[in-house]
Amino acid sequence: MNFLIANLPLLDLVLIGTGYAFSQYVVLRSGTFSVATPAFAALGAYFTAIMAVKVGIHPLVCIALATLVGLLSGLLLSIPLARLRGVYQAIASMAFVEIVLSLNLFADSLTGGPLGFNGIPRYVSTWGLFIAVVALTVILIRMSRSGIGRVFDAMRQDVSVAASLGVNPTRYHALAFGLSGAIAGLFGSLDALRNYSLTPEQFGFNALVACLSYVVLGGRRSVWGPLVGAVILVTLPEIARPLADYRMAVYGLLLAATIVYMPYGVVDSLIAWNQRRRAQQADTSLGGGTA
Amino acid sequence: MSTLVLEKVSKQFGGLQAVSDLSMEVAPGHITGLIGPNGAGKTTVVNLITGVYRLSSGSVRFGDIDLTEAPRHVVARAGVARTFQTIRLLPDASVLDNIMIGMYRHQKSSLLSQLLHLTSSRAETKACLDRAHGLLQRFGMERYAAFPAGTLSYGDQRRVEMMRALASEPRLLLLDEPVAGMNDVEAQKLGEIFLELARSGMAVLLIEHNIGFVSRMCEHILVLDSGRRIAQGTPAQILNNPEVIEAYLGSDFHA
Repeated sequence: MNFLIANLPLLDLVLIGTGYAFSQYVVLRSGTFSVATPAFAALGAYFTAIMAVKVGIHPLVCIALATLVGLLSGLLLSIPLARLRGVYQAIASMAFVEIVLSLNLFADSLTGGPLGFNGIPRYVSTWGLFIAVVALTVILIRMSRSGIGRVFDAMRQDVSVAASLGVNPTRYHALAFGLSGAIAGLFGSLDALRNYSLTPEQFGFNALVACLSYVVLGGRRSVWGPLVGAVILVTLPEIARPLADYRMAVYGLLLAATIVYMPYGVVDSLIAWNQRRRAQQADTSLGGGTA
Repeated sequence: MSTLVLEKVSKQFGGLQAVSDLSMEVAPGHITGLIGPNGAGKTTVVNLITGVYRLSSGSVRFGDIDLTEAPRHVVARAGVARTFQTIRLLPDASVLDNIMIGMYRHQKSSLLSQLLHLTSSRAETKACLDRAHGLLQRFGMERYAAFPAGTLSYGDQRRVEMMRALASEPRLLLLDEPVAGMNDVEAQKLGEIFLELARSGMAVLLIEHNIGFVSRMCEHILVLDSGRRIAQGTPAQILNNPEVIEAYLGSDFHA
């Protein structure tokens, strides 16, 4: 118990990281290569900070509105980005992250600029974050089992096949962007109401790489992938603290090893192995050969 | 019951005239054959019907729906399903999932209901699952249900693609060389399914290289060469048409 209390701030970071990982996961699962999560998170976080401190709106209302802001900016961003594919989409969404970052720096009367936004009331506890992550996990698992999950999986593997079966890719890309934006907006808002202060760099390129790494390491198909990825990558630097300067080297090696040996991510690779084993067992018990 | 009608359809790729002034009909309850040598424009015709390519001129109608300008997903929603010449499955997804995505066009539960997987969404998924198992049974493929589709043999992958097309319960089925690479026994078995589908009232367009197989399946055949329709009629008429023989075997054959 003492260990847990001592590490509560770390647990908070894991939970927030998981939220951002889910936001990144939704777009990657649908075959959309957007990395705009930090931008949506920044919009949600700064919106919350401004509303709570400068306007004086109740934090709960701020959280709900920030989620809505994330949703709407996701839907808006999907309009120009739906026409792009692959790396072009990634570059364009990266530009969006930079745009939000610079707006943040320029609008210093509103956002505090490079000095950051300070004096935000603390409203969200570890429990609050925990409940948000559990609720989101449940929703995403249910979504996975529904038609949306099937469509996302189809689009990721072959968009033209999905379209030839009646799927309107534009609509589902917009849905993925909207969901990703809403999730990032929500967790950006929770982040703001937990940390007392915000800085622009918190939502910059490093955050972008982190979100992407969570999903690459964990897996982009199963809902558990981003969760496992965030848990590993957020706690790893802390566990590896004795290694001091070599921490980032360990981080890099772990990512490289995962990509080489588990190209689908830790969770998805394990699930695939298990499925293949079970399918083969079922096949031999039916007396068939290998397919 | 709706008939697919192509009227004076043309398609140019830069300077290449891939299809020129093609008019044809695919009637419900029959299998219409479309044959021609390599590069004759057969697959282009399928891509023009399904909205993959835009027509340079002409029109495509299906019953009273105008598909001339329709994008791919609108064509699919009108009840047009296709198989691809080079198999295109979702390789990492299970055979079952590959079939279930075919039923997309009949799913009616709202996005919100699906997002939370409420009762209507669950009932729908259950119904899809049951129907998918029915199709697997019909094709004798039940034991592969959980296999990733990409790990199956070539012939089985063709069957999965066929099941996916049928899962959408199409009114028009476009088969782009569905028995390529299969032996005669396997082809005949699939052919019986095609005939059954046509008898149930579906309009079927069968694109094939294998004239023998097409003559067994179809009462009406069109022959395409260099994007132009050079003949149409019953199998007997086609097989004796000198122009068709020339297109397939070269002009020396007459001598």
